[in-house]
Amino acid sequence: MSATATLNIPTRNAVKTTLNIPLNRVEGDLEIRIELQDGRVADAWSSGTMYRGIENILVGRGSLDGLVITPRICGICTTAHLTAASKALDAIAGIQPPPDAVRVRNLALMTESLQSDVRQTFLTFAADFANPAYRERPLFEEACGRYTPLKGETAIEVIRQTKRVIEIVAILGGQWPHSSYMVPGGVATVPSLADLLQCRHLLAGYRSWYEARILGCPIERWREVRSQADLDGWLEESAAHGDSDLGFFIRFAREIGLDQIGRGHGNFLSFGQLDLPPDTQVRGRAGATDHLIPAGFARGSEVSAFDQAKVAEHVAHSWYVDYAGGRHPSAGQTQPYATGGESQKYSWAKAPRYDGLPAETGPLAEMVIARHPLFLDLLAQGPNAFVRQLARLVRPAELMPAMEQWLSEITPDGTFYIPTPAISEGEGIGTTQAARGALGHWVKIADAKIQHYQIITPTAWNGSPRDSDDVRGPWEEALIGTPVADPANPVALGHVVRSFDPCLVCTVHALHRGRSLARQPL
Amino acid sequence: MRRIICVGNRHSAADAAGPLVYERLARMERPLDIEVIDGALAGLDLLRFVEQAERVVFVDAVRAGGSRGRVVVLTADEAAENAPEIYDHSAGLAYLLRALRCVSEGPLPEIWVVGIEGIPEGETIKTAADLCLSIAAEGYRAARQHTAPACGARA
Repeated sequence: MSATATLNIPTRNAVKTTLNIPLNRVEGDLEIRIELQDGRVADAWSSGTMYRGIENILVGRGSLDGLVITPRICGICTTAHLTAASKALDAIAGIQPPPDAVRVRNLALMTESLQSDVRQTFLTFAADFANPAYRERPLFEEACGRYTPLKGETAIEVIRQTKRVIEIVAILGGQWPHSSYMVPGGVATVPSLADLLQCRHLLAGYRSWYEARILGCPIERWREVRSQADLDGWLEESAAHGDSDLGFFIRFAREIGLDQIGRGHGNFLSFGQLDLPPDTQVRGRAGATDHLIPAGFARGSEVSAFDQAKVAEHVAHSWYVDYAGGRHPSAGQTQPYATGGESQKYSWAKAPRYDGLPAETGPLAEMVIARHPLFLDLLAQGPNAFVRQLARLVRPAELMPAMEQWLSEITPDGTFYIPTPAISEGEGIGTTQAARGALGHWVKIADAKIQHYQIITPTAWNGSPRDSDDVRGPWEEALIGTPVADPANPVALGHVVRSFDPCLVCTVHALHRGRSLARQPL
Repeated sequence: MRRIICVGNRHSAADAAGPLVYERLARMERPLDIEVIDGALAGLDLLRFVEQAERVVFVDAVRAGGSRGRVVVLTADEAAENAPEIYDHSAGLAYLLRALRCVSEGPLPEIWVVGIEGIPEGETIKTAADLCLSIAAEGYRAARQHTAPACGARA
């Protein structure tokens, strides 16, 4: 990994050291501080290092401005933020968008996920398989041939394919990038038959490539894999399976013990996503009737219904003005306070908790809450970096069949918008699942202006600092026990943190230290 | 088609140069075959806009060691010099230009980058916008012959 590890504080004990690790492949330059003891992580602190204050920028602006501003929080999750902002305004207006508008919104959000899941897995996560730390491993040469950045065969193919599939968002949204076509009451674009055919063509091309190269089999075959034993059988079934990128991921992950690191708290959260139109043939997972991907909270594999009232954010260890315990985001505040409490506070990210507990979110949480038998079986030994990344790698196989169905159900030139009165007063919540997990916007409008806007992003959940009870955030906890063979190249730490797909620019409250620009200056 | 693609984050002052130039260009008259795009934070997703063009001029905030308000012109290679090798969420213009050479499936267009040092003000934005239009219309070398001296070209 390209992150540099600096031996920071030599201690009295020769085997106990503290490392500061800026994970500079993560937007926002997330910084992880770890304490090592006997070559393993004994403690960890996750720090987002720049305040952005998007929530405060929104206050006082026009009631619809969240539709334009929040998609610019992140260059990757634009559609997810647009979805959450639109749903919050739908709720305030008391409007249910027409079924075809729901399909268009879903399709755009799913496309964003198709692109993100594959890019993150093979351009970011798997790039570490080509790390020199693995040069003595039998599969190293093959890993380099596949994943060396901008050279590996898979790395090049992923860029080529993922640039095509995102055109679905451009077609359905009528604009790209930073489309703002979702509005309260539906969508502002009406796809023609030609548009829909073009989307089907793009999706078919992506599916064909994903099946041939990534899975090594049809999606239908992969979805028959429902247990650890099935997975082993699938891997051995044919050369096409073993040689696919999924097959290689499994083989390499086993070789380096990816299933032995990154355990975490074992709490999972999904806000649910992809509203089911009333007349659709698509069925929700685990019997869900409102979403394709159900909402829920799980402790281990025990799933309970999601109740947004149980969400609260803590700031005891975040650089904000203190308040006792946690606050529900409808009463949340974002008042930066970077002085005082230096020994206590260490991150610009707040600490979201569900029912007082830290919870990881993302594809694995979705699989657990949807009662996916393969992932429940794999989790029998507890969560780990392998199963977390596997969930992301195969999520497109869960999404594409539903996308095909929804594309076939849309009525060209049908009803995509219900006239909605101006929004001048009210309170609403927009929740969805971004590619990285649970995303929520809590909005209050008064006198046609935004009075209150609080956003909790997936990375705020996963990368949170400690809470008021000093309980670690999810990836802080997941790092505990991780072996660090070479402090100058702590590749295993990268595996653990990247299995959560961090996007610190999305924590809203977080970014970088040391540089004033968010992006690498030219 | 010739394109001017303005990149950056309008909600972060230090990174707002591209969007500010976009706003000015959007109000200016220009030849029909020069398209102006708000590339914002789209990064790698701008590949399609580049591949399908004859000439592309990017506009972005830069740190080239000059004073605030200096406008520089960089080649694609110069702009890609400090690109991260590995893709991540911050893979911006430099990464895009580096990736372009590896993944492009057709002939590459002529590419220039108009960079602006620091947080730009009115005159700098005007200079950069005029320069972008000249380069998009004529190419850099031709445009250079009648460009204001405010342009501290490196190329």
